[in-house]
Amino acid sequence: MSRLSHVIAAGRPVGRLVERARALGGPVLGLAVGPAQVADELARTGVERVFWFETGPDTPVEAQALGLAELVANRPGHVWAGRTAGERVLLGAAAAALGAPVLTDTVDLAAPDGRLVARQAVLAGRVWQTVTFDRPVAILLEGGSAESDDSAGPPAPVEPMAAQPYALRQTDWRPTGRAPVDLKAARRVVAVGRGLKAESDLGLIEALARALGAELACSRPLAEGLGWLPKDRYVGVSGQQIAPQLYCAVGLSGQAQHLAGARAAEIIVAINSDQQAPIMSEADYILCGDLYQVVPALIKALP
Amino acid sequence: MRIVVAHKWAADPQEAIVTSDGRIDQSRAQPCLSEYDAVAIALARGLADSVGAELVGLSVGGPEAASPLATKTALARGLDSILVLADQALASADSTTTAQALAAAVTELGDVALVLTGDCSIDRGARMTPAVLGGLLGWVTLTEVSALSLDRTSLTVERELEHGRQTLVLSPPAVLAVAAGAVEAPAPGMRDVLAAARKPVRQLALDQFDGDWGPLGQVQDRTLAPAPDRRGIVIATTDPTAAAAELIARLERDGLTWAGRP
Repeated sequence: MSRLSHVIAAGRPVGRLVERARALGGPVLGLAVGPAQVADELARTGVERVFWFETGPDTPVEAQALGLAELVANRPGHVWAGRTAGERVLLGAAAAALGAPVLTDTVDLAAPDGRLVARQAVLAGRVWQTVTFDRPVAILLEGGSAESDDSAGPPAPVEPMAAQPYALRQTDWRPTGRAPVDLKAARRVVAVGRGLKAESDLGLIEALARALGAELACSRPLAEGLGWLPKDRYVGVSGQQIAPQLYCAVGLSGQAQHLAGARAAEIIVAINSDQQAPIMSEADYILCGDLYQVVPALIKALP
Repeated sequence: MRIVVAHKWAADPQEAIVTSDGRIDQSRAQPCLSEYDAVAIALARGLADSVGAELVGLSVGGPEAASPLATKTALARGLDSILVLADQALASADSTTTAQALAAAVTELGDVALVLTGDCSIDRGARMTPAVLGGLLGWVTLTEVSALSLDRTSLTVERELEHGRQTLVLSPPAVLAVAAGAVEAPAPGMRDVLAAARKPVRQLALDQFDGDWGPLGQVQDRTLAPAPDRRGIVIATTDPTAAAAELIARLERDGLTWAGRP
């Protein structure tokens, strides 16, 4: 089986994916979708070549799914992409073209003898399984910049592709005015769950986050059901998966789907009134009590 | 013209029992129609009514996907009819195999302008099936869709992205994954439940379709995820001020400092 890998870039850093693809031992090609800047950045991540699918300012990356899939079908290999909406659609199209399984929640990957061996966390992270594949696979992983700086060499050549995009046009864009948040880059995170009684109480949790020097995050219901916080702030199996130094979970029960996104934290603090909540058995420091008493005390006590 | 909602009869993994040797016992986990799928059906119903399209549910999965409970639950949400492709080989199928089965059924059905799905399945939650399905059909695929309208030749889609609201125009056919909170999906009433029992259910058989429906990888071993290596130190909160002081002192001992906070 080919050891070739393709790494998809669609506007977010993917150096970490290139690093992991290279660790499998085969050549790594870059598939850039977006303006020239995306291709230029990808060319400096250590890939051998970049195939560039240009999109204009009014065209979402999804418009190039077909062209990208065709290229992958002609050069079968593993395909890597990050977890944003656009990256998922591009990866899915590549997987469709190859008949490749999509690996999500991968803990570890190796290719000892040409076969791919994947360690996966399944059932919302409760079970680990080892699966071998004798075929190309599509790998969905957290993107991000490479851990080691590998930009010393000359950039890889960029080859523009002339694929026919889908007829898909953005006709309106209304920014929310909220600054984008990069939870993955945060060393400390305060996450709030349904223990919070009202949206207006968010100020209390924000004050705690400020006092701890932390970013604010939440569980899925707060971002999607209630809409109290934007979607890029929810942590979980289908949201952000983060590994901060400190994860302080406030009024958050810690269902398996949520914890799958936070389990890699170094220190977990749980503040919750329910002794039986799953978060209580996965925390380093357990404060069983009323968040409306504990949180103000913490804010006051922090220097 | 048909609008299809692909939905999944699946159980919440939280309900499954994992034995100490890593075996998964799903027998106590009751499958259901997820809230995500209910939202997709509610949005699709409104759209189908606005253009006079037929609204067809499509469910792919293990044998239980064809049970009367499964089909009636979905039909009661407002579908006109339901198409089921149920087979043991699809019982724990991955996103790609599921998408292949969905694509085969959509092609068989014909005259489909749109396939809508929920935001994710509750059992796998990989959020990849719509993307693979769109790739297989060669149709535009968009996710996080919060509103849509359709006229004869064009489809207008709104989506709520992280930093803004985007409006897009495209030509059908398309695969669209509907955002979790796009519309309200009220529980069906008695009238809906009674009507569901009289709506058409059509079953497809997997052997109608070419393809290798076996697993795409070989599972070598399964174990319980390693127990979290946590200290589990309980800090009493009867006196919140003392609790706060103790937590801060312990975090400082772990190496956290409070200087240089933004």
